[in-house]
Amino acid sequence: MDLHLSERHLRFRDELRAWLEKNVVRPWREELRDPTASEDSLIELRRAWQKKLHAGGYLGLDWPKEWGGRGATAVEKSIFEAELVRADAPPILNFLGLSLLGPALIHHGSEEQRRRFIPPMLSADEIWCQGFSEPGAGSDLASLKTAARLEGDEFVVNGQKVWTTYGPWADWIFVLARTDAKNRYGGISFILVELRTPGVTVRPLRQITGESEFGEVFFEDARVPRANLVGQIGEGWKIAMTVLAYERGATALAYSTRYSRDLAALAHACREVGRTGPAVREKLARLVVENEVMRANGVRMLANLADGKIPGPEASMEKLFWSEFDKRFRDTAIDLLGPGGLLLRSCSEARPEVDWAREFLWSRAETIFSGSSEVQRNILAKRALSLPQEG
Amino acid sequence: MRFELSDDQRLLRDSARDFLAAEFPLEETQRVVEHDPRGFDPAAWARLGEMGYLGLTLPAEVGGQQLGAVELAIVLEEMGRACVPGPYLDVALAAALLAAAGGRERLLAEIASGKAIVTIARQDAAFAGEAPCGIETANGKLRGRKYFVPFAAEAQALLVTTPGGVYRTDAPFAVTPLPTLDPTQRFARVDFDHVAERMAAADVVAGLEPLAAAAAAAMLLGVMSRAFEITLDYVKTRQAFGRPIGSFQALQHRLADALLRVESTRSAVYRAAWCLDNADPDAALAAASAKAYAGDAARLVCGESIQMHGGIGFTWELGLHFFLKRAKTLESHYGSTEVQLERALAAAGL
Ligand SMILES: Cc1cc2nc3c(=O)[nH]c(=O)nc-3n(C[C@H](O)[C@H](O)[C@H](O)COP(=O)(O)OP(=O)(O)OC[C@H]3O[C@@H](n4cnc5c(N)ncnc54)[C@H](O)[C@@H]3O)c2cc1C
Repeated sequence: MDLHLSERHLRFRDELRAWLEKNVVRPWREELRDPTASEDSLIELRRAWQKKLHAGGYLGLDWPKEWGGRGATAVEKSIFEAELVRADAPPILNFLGLSLLGPALIHHGSEEQRRRFIPPMLSADEIWCQGFSEPGAGSDLASLKTAARLEGDEFVVNGQKVWTTYGPWADWIFVLARTDAKNRYGGISFILVELRTPGVTVRPLRQITGESEFGEVFFEDARVPRANLVGQIGEGWKIAMTVLAYERGATALAYSTRYSRDLAALAHACREVGRTGPAVREKLARLVVENEVMRANGVRMLANLADGKIPGPEASMEKLFWSEFDKRFRDTAIDLLGPGGLLLRSCSEARPEVDWAREFLWSRAETIFSGSSEVQRNILAKRALSLPQEG
Repeated sequence: MRFELSDDQRLLRDSARDFLAAEFPLEETQRVVEHDPRGFDPAAWARLGEMGYLGLTLPAEVGGQQLGAVELAIVLEEMGRACVPGPYLDVALAAALLAAAGGRERLLAEIASGKAIVTIARQDAAFAGEAPCGIETANGKLRGRKYFVPFAAEAQALLVTTPGGVYRTDAPFAVTPLPTLDPTQRFARVDFDHVAERMAAADVVAGLEPLAAAAAAAMLLGVMSRAFEITLDYVKTRQAFGRPIGSFQALQHRLADALLRVESTRSAVYRAAWCLDNADPDAALAAASAKAYAGDAARLVCGESIQMHGGIGFTWELGLHFFLKRAKTLESHYGSTEVQLERALAAAGL
């Protein structure tokens, strides 16, 4: 056992910390509270921030150098994510492109596709969204029906995607589409579609937070060049699954960093409003304890990555832990803050340090997206515990 | 960076697991706790000494192995897995206290070899956590009462905590047994009227709290891991409604949650032990968190294991109850959950 960061990783962290100190001019939480900020201005701010990160050499960290990456490992990537949180930097705008499509193109795309799509993805000049879920296919993703029919050099795409994050303002979407109705997994292909294509319509959907960060995307005889197919016809499922697996870093570390800060803010707020009784302290302490345990999970994951281990079902444990914990945390926070915890960010009486009401609402999404808690438990039952399957 | 155990550590774990499985099968534990009034087998205790487990963290001069908190956690995890009856954890903590106080090589050597059993007398009341200390000390004499002294009837010496420091007292002791629901752990009320030697300031005990917390959490980890494994095997074979009960999603999801708790406890325990060995500033927070979390997790996992066995789970015969009982004992001692929660808050600066 050795939980020290190596010299190399320490150096990486310290350089990054210094860089962030210089370059994060205003913490993200303050940007959000700026009364002059609008949805559009915040997007532009995040675009500018991503360009800065790119110029600083901090994007695509674990991608090969020839594709604008740094040839680093999942360890640096995990450190990077935790440090961004620590510095309260704006969230990366092209998150879905960088975390999912980039690796898909690097590992399964053609040379032309990489040359065409990776540079604007890194520079945030083309924003991507992920078109996997459909009205009839969420947890059971492989039952998706959006169809792509090959006609000469083009696919003709028909169907509907839904819950598409960033859909309302993205430029491109990567779609899982059915190219063979009879082959459940082998009949799915991975296709890149420009949202401006005739026949493609995006409609924003209002979320429980009141924001419209996701939307639905309709395809009606949308014509897409065959050259936008990633991999071969029928390889879409395989590509999607391997790409989702690359995503697995030590995310728990970044989350515990964030929750530590929010917990300190919560404790401070409780003191300020005079809630210091033993019932309050016990609730706070339980959150502190769970967060420390989550940090330990994160440290363990990071150490395993550094040790060359590829995470398997641990990724499901990590997702299950942080998402379920966050729900409890945000719920308890509002409970401890009293009715004031329900105030909207726009209200001048709201607490300045954290947007508690939005965090509470947002936490409800976390156990649904990226594999719901129930799906994660199914994965653990099957892969980690080898329990007999039904029927 | 590496979370996995080193080759030496793995060897220690494997040999402890093999040794304890052979020496302390559950049937033997059943027999000992019912037929031996001491609650453990002194011959088996002596063999723990021969294996080097009793002096694991002690200096070589007293026959110890000079290993760290991580190695202690490894052996404690195995002791928990085997639900070994006897004062292993208590003696390890008393030895750590003696070692921290300095000197006392002879007693330490006797502990390491298994000749002497020494535990810490700290509880001032049977129920309330913060009762005033009923111990008076004057002119080299110590008088008063302590509760829940581990294995006091077998101890050659007891280390008695008071606000003014820690005192060493030697047998014989006036012992009144306090039988609890956990027959693998024996406790007693001790009425002291002893010549006593002050051996350390009170803050030496306080300084050892993180080690005690991490150590108890390590044993809890072993307890819950074994109960979990037994249950996992059972649900794969037990049939109901024409299929193995482990194919029911209601059980699968709870088993997945149990796995999450076991593995999260593992992360927390070994991180805390590593932090202690490396004087990491997070050690106190990590240790308090590990103990608080492990207590809850073990109660839950051991409870689920009985539930998922159905009627047979409720039998004395099957022995699953030993895990649930040990989990409860470990949860309430060595700094109970509320105590650890307060420590975690303080260590986090909140
Ligand atoms: C905020 C947000 C952002 C999202 N962003 C995107 C995006 O950018 N791109 C995209 O493609 N998708 C996105 N999604 C969609 C998300 O991936 C799906 O919502 C998710 O996969 C669940 O699918 P569903 O909504 O169809 O629910 P369903 O699959 O219908 O599930 C409903 C309930 O049934 C449970 N359930 C389903 N199957 C099982 C089972 N086998 N065992 C036990 N319980 C089960 C689920 O856990 C859930 O509680 C987003 C979702 C949210 C909330």
